[in-house]
Amino acid sequence: MAEQALFGRYWEADSVIHSLDPRTKLVGVIFMMAVAFSAGNFPAIILVAIATIAFCLIGSVPISQALRSIAPLSFIIVLTALFNLFWVQGGAVYVQWGPLQISEEGVRMAIFISIRLTILLLSGSLLTLTTTTLDITEALERLLAPLARIDVPAHEFALILGIALRFLPQFAEELHTIRIAQLARGAKLTTSPTRSGIAGLTSLLVPLFASAFRHADTLASAMEARCYHGAQGRTRLQPLAFTRNDTLAACVLVGLLVVTIVISQLL
Amino acid sequence: MIEFDGVSFTYEAVTRKHRKGRSADTKPADWGRSPDDFWALSDLSFRLEDGELFGIAGHTGSGKSTLIQLANGLLQPTYGRVLANGHDLADKKAAAETRRDVGVVFQYPERQLFAATVFDDVAFGPRNLGLSPEEVEARVREGLALVHLDADTLGPRNPFALSGGQQRRVAFAGVLAMRPTTLILDEPVAGLDPKARRTFLDLVLELHREQGLTVVIVSHNMDDLAALCDRVLVLNNGHMHAIGTPQEVFADEKRMRSIGLGVPHAVSLANSLTAQGVKLPLQPGLPTLETLADAIAARYQASPAE
Repeated sequence: MAEQALFGRYWEADSVIHSLDPRTKLVGVIFMMAVAFSAGNFPAIILVAIATIAFCLIGSVPISQALRSIAPLSFIIVLTALFNLFWVQGGAVYVQWGPLQISEEGVRMAIFISIRLTILLLSGSLLTLTTTTLDITEALERLLAPLARIDVPAHEFALILGIALRFLPQFAEELHTIRIAQLARGAKLTTSPTRSGIAGLTSLLVPLFASAFRHADTLASAMEARCYHGAQGRTRLQPLAFTRNDTLAACVLVGLLVVTIVISQLL
Repeated sequence: MIEFDGVSFTYEAVTRKHRKGRSADTKPADWGRSPDDFWALSDLSFRLEDGELFGIAGHTGSGKSTLIQLANGLLQPTYGRVLANGHDLADKKAAAETRRDVGVVFQYPERQLFAATVFDDVAFGPRNLGLSPEEVEARVREGLALVHLDADTLGPRNPFALSGGQQRRVAFAGVLAMRPTTLILDEPVAGLDPKARRTFLDLVLELHREQGLTVVIVSHNMDDLAALCDRVLVLNNGHMHAIGTPQEVFADEKRMRSIGLGVPHAVSLANSLTAQGVKLPLQPGLPTLETLADAIAARYQASPAE
């Protein structure tokens, strides 16, 4: 019930980015990581940040919504920033407190790393915001297809991922229902290692696992009823196809990478 | 007695702007939902009297589950107050006490079974109350007896090995073992076959009449609600659509149909017969399938030609 902005919630909209081939987007995200890491100085990283925000806007995803979707992971950014703040030394010292000191270089590094991590998370989030999980798994399967020749179970791998993603919100909701039901029976739901704490935890986990097995069983029957027999000879209702927009997107990303490297080297 | 006093509730974080409004205003659509969905419940006021059998009808997403959680203090209203016997549930102590007093049987309660034996599962609630082992055992026997299960034969068995209907009764016993004075049942007969359905509803009626429990039944089966309840509350998108005796609520078939709910089958049939100009010798009050059948039979025995 609780509406949480999960990393990975699909944002329904009709935009150029939504209509891109999921393979382009998947590779694009990996490419954006390369871009973010190749940006070596402030002008370059700010350029990449602006580009990322532009991608969000082109994808009709409001910036506030995109930021909300990465909020649960913001602790990574904060931790890394704090670590750099105290670890990296150099330049003028701002604060001295016992063995800890904050210097100019540390502040600079903390800000830089924060921006870089935000870009990484945002671009990853943009993929899941603009692509349905079905498309993502299909893209993954197609990208892994060459590996199937050396007996990597690409199709099964994608299927497992797809099922996991599909059931994640389902289990979150069921866990919530089970939780309020046990709370209504006076459960003390803590993780403390006392007897009642453990009993409280089992009262959540056992029904959740039972439900997982029940779902797995039903799903297996449903798949068999539809004559599912693995990847062999399986076709798709709407086959993935690259369009001119995908070429354009690739050009934009390569251009961005080149410009970033040039700025990083020159400035 | 549980009283809802101007209760509104939202699952969203409420900003100062909303608070300033002090009422249920709207918010732009978020993640594909219409602004109306912002409020799970808006401006609900009614009183649940002691000893009554109260029905709540509404569609999925009409706010029924939210209402249940507000009634036993699992959730706090965004605006308004929920009072249990005069105590505001915003007070944590009152809420904890109410949770003991108000037993909730959620939808598909058998899915919350977890213990290795039936006995342990039913004992979960009483043990959480911190009762002595003897008292716990007495409560478990009492709970199982109330749902017509034998503690000696079923107690040591694995709940997962029981039939669906039995599992549901075990889960029900787990709530009854807490000795609640009010019982809230969320879709108690969903997924049961007609016979188990009948048995389960009879069981609820029996508890209501013999143990004097105040019972709230949430359902979208209008026939059950009309047959069982003293009063019915109809929810639509978190708003109170109608409240009153089944007779009052189901009098206006059009109004019920307008929100996609119906009226009991007997009422619907009687209405369409009357609309066709068939005069039935019906008693005042809501027709049940039995009285309607008798009326139709009497009507045609009087003048078989028509």
